[in-house]
Amino acid sequence: MSLPVQTHAFSRRRFVQAIGFLPLAGFTGFVRAASRRDIVVVTSYHDELVSRFEAAFEKANPAWRLRVIWRAAHDAMPMLRQPGPEGVDVYWSPSPGNFARLKAENLLRKLDIERSGLPGRLGNTQIDDADGYYAAFEVAGYGFAVNPAYLKEHDLPEPRDWIDLADPRYAGHLSLPNPARVAFATVIPDIPLQAYGWEKAWAMWSAIVANAKLAGRGGAFVTDEAANQRSIGISIDFFVAGAIAKGAPLRFIYPRHGGVNPSQVGILAGSQNPEGARAFASFVLSEAGQRLLTHPDIRRLPVRPSVYQGIGRDYFDPFAAAAAGEFSYDSKRGLKRLPVIAALFDTVLVRRQEKLALLWPKARKLEGKRAEEAVRLLSSVPVSEAQADQDDWQQIFANRRDDKQAESKAVLLEREWAEETDARLARVEKLLDQS
Amino acid sequence: MKRRYSWLLAFMLASGAVAGDAIFAESFTQPMPKMNDAEREQFARGRGLIRQSWVIAPSKDREIAGLGPLYNRLACISCHPRNGRGKAPEDSEERMFSMLVRLSVPGENTHGGPKPHPAYGEQLNEEGIPGVPGEGRAFIQWKEVEKLILPGEEKVSLRRPEIEFRELAYGTLDDALSSLRVGQQMVGMGYLDAVSAETLESMANEKKPDGVKGRVNHVWNPETQRVETGRFGYKANVPSLRLQIASAFAGDLGLTSSIFPDENCTSVQAACKKAPSSGTPELSEKQLNETEFYLAHLELPVRRNVNAPEVLRGAAEFTRIGCATCHRQELETGKHPRFSRLSQQKIQPYTDLLIHDMGEGLSDGRPDFQADGREWRTPPLWGIGLTEAVSESHSYLHDGRARNLSEAILWHGGEAKIARDRFAGLPEKERKALLAFLNSL
Repeated sequence: MSLPVQTHAFSRRRFVQAIGFLPLAGFTGFVRAASRRDIVVVTSYHDELVSRFEAAFEKANPAWRLRVIWRAAHDAMPMLRQPGPEGVDVYWSPSPGNFARLKAENLLRKLDIERSGLPGRLGNTQIDDADGYYAAFEVAGYGFAVNPAYLKEHDLPEPRDWIDLADPRYAGHLSLPNPARVAFATVIPDIPLQAYGWEKAWAMWSAIVANAKLAGRGGAFVTDEAANQRSIGISIDFFVAGAIAKGAPLRFIYPRHGGVNPSQVGILAGSQNPEGARAFASFVLSEAGQRLLTHPDIRRLPVRPSVYQGIGRDYFDPFAAAAAGEFSYDSKRGLKRLPVIAALFDTVLVRRQEKLALLWPKARKLEGKRAEEAVRLLSSVPVSEAQADQDDWQQIFANRRDDKQAESKAVLLEREWAEETDARLARVEKLLDQS
Repeated sequence: MKRRYSWLLAFMLASGAVAGDAIFAESFTQPMPKMNDAEREQFARGRGLIRQSWVIAPSKDREIAGLGPLYNRLACISCHPRNGRGKAPEDSEERMFSMLVRLSVPGENTHGGPKPHPAYGEQLNEEGIPGVPGEGRAFIQWKEVEKLILPGEEKVSLRRPEIEFRELAYGTLDDALSSLRVGQQMVGMGYLDAVSAETLESMANEKKPDGVKGRVNHVWNPETQRVETGRFGYKANVPSLRLQIASAFAGDLGLTSSIFPDENCTSVQAACKKAPSSGTPELSEKQLNETEFYLAHLELPVRRNVNAPEVLRGAAEFTRIGCATCHRQELETGKHPRFSRLSQQKIQPYTDLLIHDMGEGLSDGRPDFQADGREWRTPPLWGIGLTEAVSESHSYLHDGRARNLSEAILWHGGEAKIARDRFAGLPEKERKALLAFLNSL
């Protein structure tokens, strides 16, 4: 029998017990203590990553103890905004939008930690905050997971860029995460929109969605799809790299027009444990912390270039790729318009995927002006780039989850887009009927 | 049972492109073959739930909200990395990242199970949601208790844990019975769920050599409101996979379900009782079903080096010295009530699922239904050779005291003492062969 031994030091818990339960709204008492060891970290990272960093950090820094709260990016802001002296110390998440909001609302303190060896920029993408309030922790690149054996079996070429996926030969062979439902996928539509231009890219997306099966949240992994069923999965690199590291018969292709999504770390202005918070932020950006990112279960792209030395040629080095001009995506520009684009993508493409899959092959069989007209109608989008860049629209879609008025306006706009799209697709059907 | 190779293994065998253990790292996460689209979807959703880090209520993500008020870790895989076993802390300052402490007081509850501690309940929940004090922390002091020299001059040191509680938030644990639990591997559970009660009773009634007995732990099932045959848990104190899942969601994550509709607060935990909930129940029936489907449909790991001479010799030794009396190679499943592909299958789990007296050295002094402190379930050995690849650590027995398989075997006592002594007396070559056999499982 194990014999219990007890110690009775003053602790945060005893203090909290003394003050009793207070409603969540204030988070009061969660971490209150005269001098505390706990560092409260809010994150949306999956447990494989969090557990490894948690164990490694506490081993390297026995004076501190992490208390991790998991919160999806779209659900984190209310918790991070909680006023008062207690609460969250560190926000650590792949959510550039939330970091920008926190900074705008003066909820972050300057990240005054040693950052030498961290360039803070990758190609066209500023990954650290230019004013020093938060720093990139890792980046993830977008591209295609392919199963070479499957491609060969179906006589399909390897795609090299986004536009290749619009090829009708890929119909039924693609898997695409729904940007409106899958958090990491939000950036995907915008990368070609910036690279090819608005109209051309929407036309391309219409054809790609017609070729694809859409994947939602919590379902099959894109690596399942690519490995077992379909040949190509549009994805973020770490899912695929991790599967490859563990033997999946896949390859990951970074398209010519690449894009990355940075994840960042920042210390909350109201942190009551800034010393611990700094220790944690320093650790995740350190050589040791950055090297943890290369574990097969994590497989993210470190932001410390020195880590790429000696980890194998097969590990993609985004700094080398950026030097070769592969990352021209402007994430700062994208950040504000992503919610508009995701809603538009969902309304005009995802929700009409079955119809698009039916109409595109038939439209391609038409001839002459009818063919041109049908393809034009299938390729059109009811929103201009200027509209998507409008501040009021961006506010509506960014705030719809928290603001009922914004939600009503967003629904109205989506209804308009849906009506326009349905009318347009009806005209395609009419053209097909006439032929 | 006919084994089928997953794409992972097929690729490994075909290419040999990935070296080392990485190729086996996901051995416990692969789906059974030949699932239809709906089944694959259900499997994927169950996998999502097992990997999910749960959220404190209230949350916009209601379907994954309800963590706590008291809990141990954020996700199932926190304690079962890659569906494998967890590990014990290395020293007295390391937290329990993938293990926990069961608690009770002397006596029985109304159904013959452990009597929960009046202030702390059935296990120490180290974490609390905002406003709810976590129950405290448990740390381990390792005490070296025995040094042995095996034939071939191999030195072995056996250690046992002593628990130290710190920062207790709800009073002392002076009167508590406590027992450590390392997260167990989660593969093959559907098949074990399908082994019939009659088969287990029949095995218990068989006459066995070397003084081995073995008996069924008859335990209460709150879902069916019946006493049933225990088969899961270190003490075979849980009768079904479904109950095991619901119990872990409730005990480790603080998620209510149809089977455990109440939050895990004791009468003295006032803040816990007032804490916000995320629906009744927090884990929906659909989510419980999906999780059960996922765990029941994980493909069994494929054995390696099966025909290597050393492995064959080790397999023979395993039987000869008496290990196979309890670690029974083959069982046949009965009719699974929901998953037909698990029914009437011959499986090689290397267990009899019975509880056996394992001696005073392993005793935790904490009864669990009919199992006393010295009695433990024969753990299945399938996949045990993949522990390093899957879990990146070695932590065997209920409290992780054994740092390798030799230590685990040498801790056997009671009914297993004769087999253990035979192992300890084996020439080095035969001992290594036996370990090579175990590592092939």
